[in-house]
Amino acid sequence: MDREKPELNEERRTFIKKVLKGTIAGSLLLVIPLRADDLETSEQIPEHIPEQIPGIRGSEYDMSRHRFVFIVDITRCIGCGSCCVADKREYNVPDGNYRTWVERYIKDIDENIYVDCPNGGLDGYQKPREDIDRPVRDTFFVPKLCNMCEDPSCVQVCPVGATFRSPDGFVLIDSERCIGCAYCIQACPYSVRFLNPVTHTAEKCSWCYHRVRRGLLPVCVHVCPAKARKFGDLNDKESEVYKILSGPGVITVLKRDMGNSPSLYYKGARREVI
Amino acid sequence: MNAAHENAITILTNYVFPNDLHVHWSMMIALYPYITGIVAGAFIVSSLYHVFGVKSLKPISRFSLLFALAFLTCATLPLLFHLGRPERNFNIMLTPNPSSAMAGFGYIYMLYGVVLLLEVLFIYRPTLVYLRKKSQGLMEMIYRALTFDSTNLSPESLELDRKIISFLAAIGIPMACVLHGYVGFIFGGIKANPTWATPLMPVIFLLSACVSGVAGIILVYILIKTFTNKPADTDCVRTCTNYLAGFFILDFVFEMLEVLSHSYLRTAHYHAVDELLNGPLYNSFWIGQVGILSVIPLILLGWLCLTRVNDTLFKIGASLVSFMLLLQVVFMRWNVVIGGQLISKSARGFTVFHPEWFDKEGILTAIVLMCAPLVVLFVISRIFPFWMEEMDEG
Amino acid sequence: MKSSYNSHVKRIILGLVIFAVVGFIGKEISSPKSFGVYGHYRADAIQEEADRDMRHKTNTPCLPCHTHEAGLHKNGLHKTISCEFCHGPMADHITSGIKTGELPVKKGEEIRVLCLRCHNRAIHARPGDVIKTVVMPDHLRDKKVKETHTCNQCHHVHAPYNYIDQAKQALSIKEAS
Repeated sequence: MDREKPELNEERRTFIKKVLKGTIAGSLLLVIPLRADDLETSEQIPEHIPEQIPGIRGSEYDMSRHRFVFIVDITRCIGCGSCCVADKREYNVPDGNYRTWVERYIKDIDENIYVDCPNGGLDGYQKPREDIDRPVRDTFFVPKLCNMCEDPSCVQVCPVGATFRSPDGFVLIDSERCIGCAYCIQACPYSVRFLNPVTHTAEKCSWCYHRVRRGLLPVCVHVCPAKARKFGDLNDKESEVYKILSGPGVITVLKRDMGNSPSLYYKGARREVI
Repeated sequence: MNAAHENAITILTNYVFPNDLHVHWSMMIALYPYITGIVAGAFIVSSLYHVFGVKSLKPISRFSLLFALAFLTCATLPLLFHLGRPERNFNIMLTPNPSSAMAGFGYIYMLYGVVLLLEVLFIYRPTLVYLRKKSQGLMEMIYRALTFDSTNLSPESLELDRKIISFLAAIGIPMACVLHGYVGFIFGGIKANPTWATPLMPVIFLLSACVSGVAGIILVYILIKTFTNKPADTDCVRTCTNYLAGFFILDFVFEMLEVLSHSYLRTAHYHAVDELLNGPLYNSFWIGQVGILSVIPLILLGWLCLTRVNDTLFKIGASLVSFMLLLQVVFMRWNVVIGGQLISKSARGFTVFHPEWFDKEGILTAIVLMCAPLVVLFVISRIFPFWMEEMDEG
Repeated sequence: MKSSYNSHVKRIILGLVIFAVVGFIGKEISSPKSFGVYGHYRADAIQEEADRDMRHKTNTPCLPCHTHEAGLHKNGLHKTISCEFCHGPMADHITSGIKTGELPVKKGEEIRVLCLRCHNRAIHARPGDVIKTVVMPDHLRDKKVKETHTCNQCHHVHAPYNYIDQAKQALSIKEAS
């Protein structure tokens, strides 16, 4: 135990040096109280947070130049539910409603499929399922979120134009216009929508549009410890998502027959996944 | 919320998407097509006289129009109770989305309301002019407004009215069909729901609308006549019952055709629909809607229409059949609207629906809203006399 | 007032025209301004969504103040873990550069629950190349510690192998000398 302390202190010293050298402006921003207008910009565009998606910051954001996709790698998801927790906190999602959730699929040796998703996966999966009599052959987790369809049913049916597909491909909700008729909830084949019991307007996953426009990853992608969620711009040939989608791996979308052309792709999804 | 959530999970044998546990379109949305259906059906009864010249329907030709008007005034109430943000309801008129099946509602409803109101006013104009002369004070003001301050009843003027009435009644029929067929399309256009996504949906809604409209008129007509101790016109009731039988046979055939095509085509979603109808909906669909409320009325209708039944018995039988068919349509709306939402889009399980008594969209609201058109009908009856013979007496 | 044979029709038509004109003007006045710029929606809604406040602010802003944890975290196996997942979003802690709230630090049994969200092998579907998993309480027995031990009594939460590597190093040095 005695050996630990000097090492620790040394580490601390070098770290402080690095911080002072590298991110002195950033760290000062947090410590020194700022004028109100400075604060606003520092919170709107958090320059001190390193960019996570290249090509967003700097020049004027051009909506037509991006084509964002989301990839969920089922072979990597460990069902910890970090994404669900972060999502609920980022948007203060009321209990019982889910912008994203993680399902557990269990296949027994007779090929029977059992799916469950207690509390949307918010508490993680602490215990194996106990109500299955037959030996289990396979277990896997399937995270779900908005499919950001190219031809979205929700946008088609919204009577007032309160949900729409933006030029950069995000299906978003205008909560100022939404009348809360829930038609979009009926129309969404993926059940990603709900009526927020506080605002009484429709709500769903937005792929963290506010973060993406600041050059940051969606919060679920950022917190995923297993790198099972991937997000990026297909127009950026260096991006991981471009490499995955142009590579040889098997990539599927959910409910292809619905004809909605999702921009959410699944890697390694078994055929039982709906 | 959480307790209900947990509860629903344990009841289900299999998996429901977490956002599907809540049934978003509840009783109000089942009630709304029911009320607009009665509007469309009642209007068609009056058109049978005004456009197609079915003379035996003359005694109820005016009543059925007012009946339609009374229900039309209440048709938007369930929607307002349902909307999450009812104060924004005018957005549907301000920025109607051309690709949305629901967006046309505001304009279709408004145009239909104008056509119906104008038709009532033109048909009643001679009566209203007469009543205006007889009444004083507030009633005189009301009649003056309703006749647009014109007392001209010259043959020239009445001939103009007659042409306008024919025109309004004629365009009223397609509009009544659009109003209700389109309500069916709101459901039929949802591809994500396998029980709704069928082109038969508008047809079924339209035919069941005719059934509920005709049945409502027969029942209320006989009831009013009974309570006011006046004889109901037997010929009229018999004709109405014949039409009711015709509409109902078509309606029932299409309802069964939908189930048959599901079970014969055996598409990917067949197992979910099959398990729904034979599981959670078994009692309300097979026993309620089909068994008790369709097969028995069909037998009764056959008895009433095909055999010689004496007048008193006929009226009792017709009232009973009408009442059962009004209920049949309620069950049908329930099974389509709420039943359809019980299937989770996971196609792996069903959620449950518990109607609440005192909820905003609860049972109490539903009862009040179903009584509201009858109250409106009573108010209307103070202004517009229902029956021609009352006029003759006057 | 004397009325001609069609005066009521004229009045009705006039009324309908006024109704339509007033309705049309009302519609034009109350329709939102940026509606229809890109499509059938309010274009300003895009920017409003983009301006939504971020509640999670990545690990970067945490590190300058929490230097001790930062040092451990960035060198440990948990370096990819988000601070905010275990402790809560930055927005509940710092607002406009000023501390506005305490974020929770998990203790005792909470730690065990938290660790097993990811590291519980009893939940199959946790591939070995993605995450190292253990079976409880077998792992405690294997390591010959009490079954009441919580994870953080051996593993530092920010750098799980920190103490263990140090202990091993210390032991090997001893063995060598």
